[in-house]
Amino acid sequence: MLRLIIQKELREIGRTGKMGWLLTGVAVLVALALYNGYAYYTDHSALLRESQRVTYEQFISQGDKNPHLGAHFGFYAYKPTADLALVDNGIEDYTGTSFYLEPHQRGVVKFREVSDATALRSFGFLNISYFAQFILPLFIFLLSHNVFAKEWENGTIKMVLSARVMARQLFAGKLLACWLLVLAVVAVLSLVPLVLLLARAEAGSLGRVLPAYGCYVLGLLAYALLLTIIGVATSLLTRNSSLALVALTGFWLLGVFLVPRLAGELARRVQPAITSVAFDDETFHDKQYGVGKQGTKDQRRDALADSVMAKYGVRRLEDLPVFFIPITIEFFEESDGRVMDRAYGAIEHNEARQNRLVLASALLSPFLAFRDFSMHLTATDMNTHHDFTQRAEAHRRRIGVIVDDFYQKNTVAGNDFWRTVPQFAYAAPGLGWRLGNAAPAIGILLLWLLGALGLMTLAYRRMRV
Amino acid sequence: MSTSILRVLFSHELKSLYRNRVLVTLCSIILVVLLASLWIGGSLLRKQQRTIGQIGEHHRVLADSLNQRLTRIAAHGGTYPGFIWDDPTFAYNTARNEGPQYAVKQPFALQVLATGQGDVQPFYYKVYINKKQHLVHESEIDNSLLQFVGTFDFSFVVVYLLPLLIIVFTYNILSAEKEQGTWVLLKTSNQSIARLMLYRVAIRYALFLAFFWLVVGPVLTLLVGPGFLGTGNWWWLVGFVSLYFAFWFGLAFVVNSFSFSSNINAMTLIFTWLLLGLLVPNLLHIGLSRAYPIPSRISMSTAERNAINAYFEKDGQELTKDVFSSPRTQIRQASIVTPGMVYGYGVIVYKSQEIKDAAAQVAERKLYDQIERQQQAIRRWQLISPALLMQEVLAALAGTHWHQFNQFSLDVDEFRREQQRFFYPKMASEATYHNFDLQDAAAIPRFRPRTYAVYEWLRVGQSLLLYAGVVGGLLLLGYRNLLLAAR
Repeated sequence: MLRLIIQKELREIGRTGKMGWLLTGVAVLVALALYNGYAYYTDHSALLRESQRVTYEQFISQGDKNPHLGAHFGFYAYKPTADLALVDNGIEDYTGTSFYLEPHQRGVVKFREVSDATALRSFGFLNISYFAQFILPLFIFLLSHNVFAKEWENGTIKMVLSARVMARQLFAGKLLACWLLVLAVVAVLSLVPLVLLLARAEAGSLGRVLPAYGCYVLGLLAYALLLTIIGVATSLLTRNSSLALVALTGFWLLGVFLVPRLAGELARRVQPAITSVAFDDETFHDKQYGVGKQGTKDQRRDALADSVMAKYGVRRLEDLPVFFIPITIEFFEESDGRVMDRAYGAIEHNEARQNRLVLASALLSPFLAFRDFSMHLTATDMNTHHDFTQRAEAHRRRIGVIVDDFYQKNTVAGNDFWRTVPQFAYAAPGLGWRLGNAAPAIGILLLWLLGALGLMTLAYRRMRV
Repeated sequence: MSTSILRVLFSHELKSLYRNRVLVTLCSIILVVLLASLWIGGSLLRKQQRTIGQIGEHHRVLADSLNQRLTRIAAHGGTYPGFIWDDPTFAYNTARNEGPQYAVKQPFALQVLATGQGDVQPFYYKVYINKKQHLVHESEIDNSLLQFVGTFDFSFVVVYLLPLLIIVFTYNILSAEKEQGTWVLLKTSNQSIARLMLYRVAIRYALFLAFFWLVVGPVLTLLVGPGFLGTGNWWWLVGFVSLYFAFWFGLAFVVNSFSFSSNINAMTLIFTWLLLGLLVPNLLHIGLSRAYPIPSRISMSTAERNAINAYFEKDGQELTKDVFSSPRTQIRQASIVTPGMVYGYGVIVYKSQEIKDAAAQVAERKLYDQIERQQQAIRRWQLISPALLMQEVLAALAGTHWHQFNQFSLDVDEFRREQQRFFYPKMASEATYHNFDLQDAAAIPRFRPRTYAVYEWLRVGQSLLLYAGVVGGLLLLGYRNLLLAAR
């Protein structure tokens, strides 16, 4: 009986003209999303890989220079494009990928693509994840909004319920028919990128990519299932296809646009960010006048000179067996580094609180929960970005130590020395770390799934004429 | 059609809308959303004004500190008691420390309505002689995730949310008559059904528009004062927004005129909204990104670095040797910073900067040319999506369009060159090394802030007329369909 109902529903859906249009539209959009995501991934990964090579090459071939001057020439640490960026590029264009490694200054990530983007960026970037978050829900709702309502509108519900079919079978049949169609779209959405990933995979990278992608697909399935249940249950509860459509579209609009933006604004109000002017002033003050009882920069410099002269048993800086300037540079690199670490830590802490608030709003929007999950799994999220900046900053300080150690005994550095400075390389953390960061989003998605099942039960109980 | 029929229709519409609870609820939600968006825009404006106040205070404190220190040094016979890198009598030190000035884009009252590029483009820069437009975070400090999510502003409400309310308002204006069985009654009346339906749509449009502007006008006046009413920007904005709503009412009228069921009408209108509001701009984005790919800024930095390396292979080597090995600069070893070393670093920095600026110019031109080409293409294609057109127009009229931020950025770049012209000769003077005095401090160039709200590139009149034509066409098509249906 169940099979008969599914067959009947699928045949009915297939025979309506709208489904043909809908599926054609979906196919075109999926193809475009794939092309766009793939082009983004290949262009960006090639550019960043080549840029990392070039910037380092420029650094190690800069020729004879004062070591400190050469260190200021520095080089860039580029964040490589995430393996799964063809599926979801997350906030990559908003964070930037270039971290400058030079003395004195804690690096900041620069060259955000969004700074040079036109207004079209605000309409989104069509890739697989955009499709899954924005268009797939609408497809599901358009598919399911009248699956029960039509029986009431056509007056066939009495006939159906008075036949041999059980209400449970009817409900399951209609739900499964919708789910099968959704599943077909999800299968295309998952398998084609998989083929592209396999084709593009570098040696040894599959072990890293496939488990993460597998988890992503599982999340996508759960997300699609809960939306299908909501669509079918709403159709049954409203018994009116127009009303169901308006309600489901309203839910989509609220969840996709309204809730995230309102939550973002709320986060900005509740946890306001420091302005660049204030940040500059405060860090300058702390570096110049010290924190607590550290004393001013001049006092700390004098104390350092005294301690170094005492260590070497001399009375004048000129008599030191090592150069004092690099010792000063290294000393202030550490003490200023602490000030900057604290200042940037405060910003990151504030941003984390803002992000938590936005994520909390996913309790009102499953779309938002899925987006958060997707960004974490594809390593295009804020946590991965912070991980990258921390590693790049650690590398910057390592270079500082190498150069200053050399500078203590030499006033000229040549290419032989520059080549001893290590190149930067970054790989996003593994699946366990990503899943750990995605845990709240996964929890919220599961809550939504439970809620959808609750709604389904409620709707089923009301299936009476 | 007599006036009395119009009055009857008007009162009928009012009653039916009032008695429709879903609509009343939706209108209340939209009212809240509209007020929230205006309030958010207003608070962003106030935050900017506060930041500009902080910048003014910052300038005042730094100028006082510089003057005091220079006065004290003059009183001590030219000797600075602190670390030599902080000694302001070296032009290079002042150019790094107290010299950099903030350049500010003055806020424009109507920016309350559209964030435009304001969420990713800074409205102020700290201008150094040796850095391009600079802020600690390259722009104002903001959470990248929140930028990605987007701002909740008036333009978002107008472009995305209100068309959907209009759809809910109008999708069944005719089909409901059929589904409720009143269509036959209407057909037998002596009134033209086509005109009746057109009037009903017009009445709903008038009610919607009156409700909308009666909320927006007073609230905006309360938030920013009545000054905006005297600007051309505001009245063009009123025209465009009203026309945008008219487009959606017109579209609903056409869809209704095909006599489909309410469900099909709703689906068609929602799909059109999705197509025009999201898919077409997205497809345009893909096409324009391929046709006019914007080069990464990485290419600029690569060009700069190549030029610096090339320079240091020959001329730069000579200069460095001259500075670091010259008896004049007295750099004997790397333990004591001598005045000659401060001077020498200053010379190397400004020479390097000249090389970098020249090298970056080519890459930068290429970058901005491509952005400009994309912008021009958007202007050509924006008519295919009313949502895109509205977004562009609202940003331009609110003073937050890319063009306006770009103009600000160009002004800032010119100001940087002015600063370089001021500091470079002083940094290159090795007569005494200590050559920066109180008179110089008073002469440090200051940026002249202004608002950026002109929109001459937009051809607003042409776009408005064209869209008015589109709306007229829609109404005509719907009217014709209904005339045929009534036969």
